[in-house]
Amino acid sequence: MVRSNGDEATAWAAVLDNNGDAFVAIFDQHRDRVYRHALRMTANVHDAEDVTAGAFLELWRRRKAARVVDGSVLPWLLVTTTNLAKNLTRGLRRYRALIATLPRADVARSAEDVALEQIEEFRIVVRVRDALSGLSPSDAALITLTVFEHYSPAQAAAALGITDGAARTRIFRARTRMAATLEALDDDENIGATKETNR
Amino acid sequence: MSTMEMDPVFTAALREALVATVKDTPRVRRRWRWRVGTGTFLGLTLVAGGVALASGMFSPPGAPVDSPLGNVITATRTGTATIDIGTPPATATDVSLALTCLTVGTFYFPNGSSMNCDSADLTHVPPSDGPASEVVPLTAGVDTVTIKTSPNATWTLQAMYVNQVTTPWGVNASGETYGVENQNGTPDLIAVIINQGSTNGYVKESDLKCAGGGDPTSRAEALAWDKASQNRNITIPVYESDGVTVVGTFTVGSASGPNAQTVPLSSLSLGC
Repeated sequence: MVRSNGDEATAWAAVLDNNGDAFVAIFDQHRDRVYRHALRMTANVHDAEDVTAGAFLELWRRRKAARVVDGSVLPWLLVTTTNLAKNLTRGLRRYRALIATLPRADVARSAEDVALEQIEEFRIVVRVRDALSGLSPSDAALITLTVFEHYSPAQAAAALGITDGAARTRIFRARTRMAATLEALDDDENIGATKETNR
Repeated sequence: MSTMEMDPVFTAALREALVATVKDTPRVRRRWRWRVGTGTFLGLTLVAGGVALASGMFSPPGAPVDSPLGNVITATRTGTATIDIGTPPATATDVSLALTCLTVGTFYFPNGSSMNCDSADLTHVPPSDGPASEVVPLTAGVDTVTIKTSPNATWTLQAMYVNQVTTPWGVNASGETYGVENQNGTPDLIAVIINQGSTNGYVKESDLKCAGGGDPTSRAEALAWDKASQNRNITIPVYESDGVTVVGTFTVGSASGPNAQTVPLSSLSLGC
C-alpha cells in the first residue's frame, strides 16, 4: 500500500515555489518507478527513457495543475507516463530536441537486444504491454495504479479526477478485458509452440 | 544493467537537464493563497522559498508578507488580453493575481509563468487546484496586467494591489541568521518542517548543501554522486533557531529497498 509521504509533501510545496533542489529530490524519489512503468507500457528501453524524461518535464511544466494524492505526485506521474507512452510522437513533441541531447551509455541498446540476455524478464514486459495496449489511456492508468503500483481505487480515482465508484467499475471492466487479452496471447503462444513442435 | 533500471548515464544527464530547466524558469517570487471572504480576498500567510518549507502555517523569519490594498478587479476574457487594474495605491509594491481557466489552453502570467489546462482540469469537481496564483512586482507607470493565451482560451483574472514586506531573518546568539530563503539570499539556518509537519526547525545551510552533493561542476561529478546516492540517504540535524539544540533529523535522499542505508552526515567524509 502506498502511504502519504510527509517529506514529499514538503518537497512538493518547495517545488511550487520553483525550488530546483526539491524538484530533483522528487525526480530521485520517483524516477525508477516511472521508468519501470514506462517500460511496461512501451517494452522498449529507449522509448521508456524518453517517456520518463517527458513525464518529469511535464511535471515541471504543469506543476500547478498536477494532482497530488495523499501528499504524492507519483500517481499523477504514472498517469502522465501512460498518456505519453500511448502517444509517443505527439506527447513528446515539445521535448524531442532536449531529449535528443541526453547521452546514453549504449546508444545501440534496445529492449530487443537486452531481451537476448534476459528473455524471461522481457517476455513478461512485452506481454504486459500488449495487454495494456488494448485499454484506453485512462483505463491503462487505472490498472497501473491499482494492480501494479498498489494504490487503492480511491487514490487512483483522485489521480484521474473521477469518482471512486466510477473508478471501481472501470477497473473491473479493464481487468476483465486484460484477462481476455492475456488469455488470447496465451492461446497464440500455445498455437505457436504446437506448430514448432509439429515441424 | 537490467532492463528494469534506467541507464545511469541517461539518468544523470536527465537530472542535469531538469536542474537547468528549473533554473531557466522565470522565478516565481512567492505564492499567495486566496480565500473569498465577504467580497474581499483575505490573504493567508504564504508559502515562501525555503528549501523545505512546507506550509503557510509556520511563518519563519525572512518570509514575505503581503497586505491586501484596495479592491479586487475581476475580468473574464478570451485570448490574449490586457486588463486595466486602476491606479495603484501609494503603498502598493506588487500585484497579486489569481487566474482561473474556463476552457482548455495555455495561459501565461506577465512574469512568464504559465498554466496549462486540459479537459480533465475543467471537469474535475471540485476544481483540482483552484486558481493559479502569482504575485508580480509593480512596474512604474504601468497599471495594466496582460495575460497571454493560446488561441481562443477563456480565463478569469482576479487582481489586487498588495503591499509586500519581507520580514528580516532572525539572528541567534552565535550570530547565525535563520529563516527562509528570499531575495536577499540564503540564511545560515534554513527553515524546515519534519515529522509529517509536526515539527518546525532549521537545518544548517552548509549541512544541507553537503548532504545534497554540493554543486557538481561536471556531468562526471553529478554521475558519481548519483551512483553513490542510489542506496544511500543522509540525515542532517534539525535545530532550534539557536543552531545548537537538536530537535530531530532531516533526511536528504530517496533511496529505498533492501540495500538502502540511511546514515548521518557526520559519519561520512565528503570533504565539505
